[in-house]
Amino acid sequence: MLTSIQQWITRWSIFDREYTIKQKEMLLGYALILPSVLLVAASLVYPVAYNIYLSFTEVPLDPRESPEWVGLANYEALLNDPEFWEAVQNTLVFTFFSDVGATALGLGVALLFRKNFRGDGIMRGLVLLPYIAPLIAIAFTWRWLLQPTYGLVPHILQDVLGVYSGTNIRQTMGMVILFDTWRYFPFAFLLILARVRSIPTELYEAAKIDGAGRFAQFKDITLPELKFVLAAVFLLRWIWNFNVFTDVWLFVGNNVPILGTFVYVKGFNTIPPNQGFAAAVANLMVIGLFVMVIGYVRYFMDW
Amino acid sequence: MLENIITMATQAVNDLSHRLRRRSIEAPLWERLAFYLTLAVVGFVSVFPFYWMGVTSLVDETWLYQTTPQAIPALADLSLENYWTLFGSETVPFVQYFLNSLFIGTVSAALGLSFAIFGAYSFARLEYPGRWIFSRGVLVNYMFAGILLVIPIFQILVTLDLVNNRLGIIVTHFIFVIPLGLYLLGNYFRSVPREIEEAGLMDGYSRLEVIARITIPMSKPAIVATYMYAFLLSWNEYLYASVILRDQGLYTLPIGIEQLQYAFQNVWGDVMAASVVTTIPVLFIFLYLQRYLVEGLSFGNMD
Repeated sequence: MLTSIQQWITRWSIFDREYTIKQKEMLLGYALILPSVLLVAASLVYPVAYNIYLSFTEVPLDPRESPEWVGLANYEALLNDPEFWEAVQNTLVFTFFSDVGATALGLGVALLFRKNFRGDGIMRGLVLLPYIAPLIAIAFTWRWLLQPTYGLVPHILQDVLGVYSGTNIRQTMGMVILFDTWRYFPFAFLLILARVRSIPTELYEAAKIDGAGRFAQFKDITLPELKFVLAAVFLLRWIWNFNVFTDVWLFVGNNVPILGTFVYVKGFNTIPPNQGFAAAVANLMVIGLFVMVIGYVRYFMDW
Repeated sequence: MLENIITMATQAVNDLSHRLRRRSIEAPLWERLAFYLTLAVVGFVSVFPFYWMGVTSLVDETWLYQTTPQAIPALADLSLENYWTLFGSETVPFVQYFLNSLFIGTVSAALGLSFAIFGAYSFARLEYPGRWIFSRGVLVNYMFAGILLVIPIFQILVTLDLVNNRLGIIVTHFIFVIPLGLYLLGNYFRSVPREIEEAGLMDGYSRLEVIARITIPMSKPAIVATYMYAFLLSWNEYLYASVILRDQGLYTLPIGIEQLQYAFQNVWGDVMAASVVTTIPVLFIFLYLQRYLVEGLSFGNMD
């Protein structure tokens, strides 16, 4: 009995056979990555597939019942829902402007740090604060700053500058874009800074001797040198802005509806929740994002 | 002798012309003024919300809700009342939220890294067909932000009976940490010189022994940094915590602070104090992380 088990193990165990070192390393490589791959697949590949399935069903409230197949009904309802189209429009406006804002501001600030100056280390740390602080803390700080009756910003706008109209300025698209720009410009700053500092100073000196002005230097040296990092930053911010949920939700709730908050509200914050419908929205977001990203990569980044 | 004089003379001329050129290149006074002014504005915009968060948390209510808000409190207005409410009162289980966040972050970061270390080593070092999929596939995670998968993952957790359960949130966070760990550690292991490991192999260590006795001890700083990023990911995570955790006793900080704000009127002092307490550990962590800023922050954050 024991011998037969041993024989069986020897026959099947991959470690007892004669392998070259290279093959052993290969097997070890697969063995080491396998747990991670399985777990990530469980949290990524399976949910993506399951989400597609759920979007064709009506998900029951009682978890013991299984989802009921409804075909394309969710997608039909979705395409006829004006709220959905409003969210699409808001998402595109938000994504574009906060991406441009964060990238441009990040570029500007990175250029300030091109040369060393006294205290640049501390200054860099301070500039990164908006990005590294917990979102919950800064979202509520901004809410408090913008609070209509006691907030500091409305007070300054109204009583000192006399321009405030009396509405809640927090709950506007413009303010959401500003908030997001403020939070994420340090990300662009950090990535661009590394490239900015590696541009050889000789290029600028030579240009200066040739009589090139500030603008010409920026246009003909800085921008071409930073082309790739700018394109990459813009793409990454585009992906994250398009998929944004928490930033907008904690800052304005459902007052500026975007696709991310639309999914959340339909799936968890409506009575009764309609998770099949929300799954359909999420699927369309995935498809839309893939189309945009592939288009962008092909036409702007020459890949 | 003559030769010496000639070299000295040419050197002097060179020096002089160099100095003249330097002076013509150095920025004029108004330009330097503009530079420092811009820098001051950038610093102010980045830091002011944090100043306001701190001030609001340290004053009493009468100062906070006066008809004309002030920017700087008098010494007499300062009080620790808000912090007493958070830590001393029975109504707000803030200490519980803090401990929940700490526990969930510590455990899920540790679990995630224990998988990611081996996975990252595998595709950074060992050679086998198809390993590029793992090193590139990490980036696919960029596209699938939390909101796109929240419905299916929630349904899976419902099926597994992990909703409203600490285990549920730990499992979710720990799996989300893995791609971050693979990405950061993979990049790091690639930069460790192969020769040291090869010397270990020559001395008769097996590959696993090399990892355990050489690579991991040598990479300790990078592993600690990755652990901290993983911890922060969990510490800041809002979306999944908000759908998984229902009982107040289970809340993490982001959920707890949000509830605090909705449950009572005019609790800005308490909310800001809670925000300060949430932010301070993060700032200390980033002081340690300075060397790993670009890599870590460019992975982006999960929402």
